[in-house]
Amino acid sequence: MMNYTITIDNLKSLINDLIGVYTVYAPKKAATTVLYEAIASFDEYDGNALQTNTSSKGIIYPQCDRLFEFAKTSDGMELKACEKYEKVEETIIFGCRPCDAKGFLLLDKLFNWGEYRDESYFSRREKTAIISISCATPQSTCFCNSFEDSGPVSKTGSDLLLTLIGERYLVEVVTEKGKKIIEGSRYLEPATENDVALKQEAEQAAAKKMPERLELDEIKKSLDTAFESPYWDTAHLPCLKCNVCTFVCPTCYCFDISECLKGYTEGERNRTWDSCSLESFTKMAGGVNPRSDSKQRFRQRVMHKFRYHVDNFNEYLCTGCGRCIRYCPVGMDIKRVLEGVK
Amino acid sequence: MCNPYMPYLAKIIRIIPQMDDVRLFQIRFEDEKIRDEFKHRPGQFVMVSVLGTGEAPISISSSPTRSGIIELCIRKAGKVTDALFRLKENDAIGLRGPYGNGYFLERIKGNNLLIVAGGIGMAPLRSLLWYSLDNRDDFHDIILMYGTKTPNEMLFKDELFSLLYRNDIRCLLTVDRDDTGTWKANVGVVTKLFDLVGLDANTQRHEGRETQGKNNSFVNTSATTYAAICGPPIMYQFVLQKLIECGFPKDRIMMSLERRMQCGIGKCLHCSVGYKYTCTDGPIFTYWDVMNMQEVV
Repeated sequence: MMNYTITIDNLKSLINDLIGVYTVYAPKKAATTVLYEAIASFDEYDGNALQTNTSSKGIIYPQCDRLFEFAKTSDGMELKACEKYEKVEETIIFGCRPCDAKGFLLLDKLFNWGEYRDESYFSRREKTAIISISCATPQSTCFCNSFEDSGPVSKTGSDLLLTLIGERYLVEVVTEKGKKIIEGSRYLEPATENDVALKQEAEQAAAKKMPERLELDEIKKSLDTAFESPYWDTAHLPCLKCNVCTFVCPTCYCFDISECLKGYTEGERNRTWDSCSLESFTKMAGGVNPRSDSKQRFRQRVMHKFRYHVDNFNEYLCTGCGRCIRYCPVGMDIKRVLEGVK
Repeated sequence: MCNPYMPYLAKIIRIIPQMDDVRLFQIRFEDEKIRDEFKHRPGQFVMVSVLGTGEAPISISSSPTRSGIIELCIRKAGKVTDALFRLKENDAIGLRGPYGNGYFLERIKGNNLLIVAGGIGMAPLRSLLWYSLDNRDDFHDIILMYGTKTPNEMLFKDELFSLLYRNDIRCLLTVDRDDTGTWKANVGVVTKLFDLVGLDANTQRHEGRETQGKNNSFVNTSATTYAAICGPPIMYQFVLQKLIECGFPKDRIMMSLERRMQCGIGKCLHCSVGYKYTCTDGPIFTYWDVMNMQEVV
């Protein structure tokens, strides 16, 4: 597909124009956090932070999502489908990082495998376009380069990818959805071969700043035989089971279904994020819990992301964003945990 | 647009008490079209909603050969079943499904079927039992072994007693102890029933052998035998041991797994065991599958 360039001032105008047509989510700075929020003008966008505190998954897969409503009637019950699936607005996620953008590709498969397709997820997913910005300054916690089709300037999962080259951005059109966004825009100029070469330089510069790659295929082999390993007896000990890793992860998708009552005659059924590290996650009626021990739950999270998911989908359930490392209150590092498996 | 998490409304037609904490609920979808479209296989489950409380996975106790009404044999064990027990006949509930794989009927067809149930484990196996009896020509010999702690705890007593007089099924009922003094069938654990049928590796593997006597219903056939078991963990332990002693290959023993479930459709991951999902890959697994799964308990 075509490549373009855009100056920083023009990008500002372009986004401001898009805000008129789409709901635009972008990293926005608050007192101590940077989170994705709907912005009213480009000035609210904060591109300085490498990453937002939480991933962008919540825009398409909200933390709490209504599945349907019910009400008591004079002769029984009434179920009401949610109209909001039909009413989803066209949305753009601007300033997404390649690791978050790739996360959506992983979620797409999970919500659409087997016989069932999750409409509540896809109603938003189909109407959302992702404009990513390449990372120029990866940090020590980043390990996106350990995965295939992934890295600080990777196009995977994005609809448009912007890479800073000097005073301008190179705009790479990745999908038809991306093409539609900038179609006929007066702010863009076709890119030259030189511009593309400049991107390669940016790519190399970013790659140099990346920490060493994880040998994931080797790690997968170790995990295949490590279920009974005494390694887990000690590996989980520092973990507080606070679940912040799950909360900030762009690919953790486990959910719980619960009900919320409104008065005595009405209520709604909701889906909320859940975590396999929680004790209640596998607890059955009657009290039996197949994963009652925190060691088992810690092992489950690591095994699922780097072993079971690979067995089912032939890819890792991780994009290497490094948030779980950055926000862990006890400084646990998933990379060290994986390297230590034996 | 189809929302896979949205149940269909159904009505409780009748509640038949089985024990203090076990009841059989007869349920019918309100929408006639849904009622006709609902087709399940023995061993599958539904997600039952008590609107206002929540949802729980429950195995179907009725046979698909008797359609129109869905029967669920439920023990009061948690939040949702507690609320369900407070409902009365004619009350509305939500139902979605059927989900899961069910028993491997295609493989059992033309072969012998051995059903071993313990306690509440009869609930999912009752579906298979009546399915096989209603399609009697599809199966060779059928044996049912069912054990409970006491006579009072035996589920579906009337219909099982009626099977004692049929000659197309060997129905063996047992209780661990008879505290009523009126029990006329066997006393002892369910594995003791194996001695009564003289089930052993040689007879059931040999092809086309002559009849060895009335008690041994597994000989005289070229068919192999599939075993379906469901019951408390302690029963599994002893029955599996017995079946292996009798020479059953592990892939011909079917057992059902129980896990917490939220979605029932392979999304929420609550029921995952290794890379398998109990809701979509199961809940019926062969003993071979289960042996190779980690964390089954």
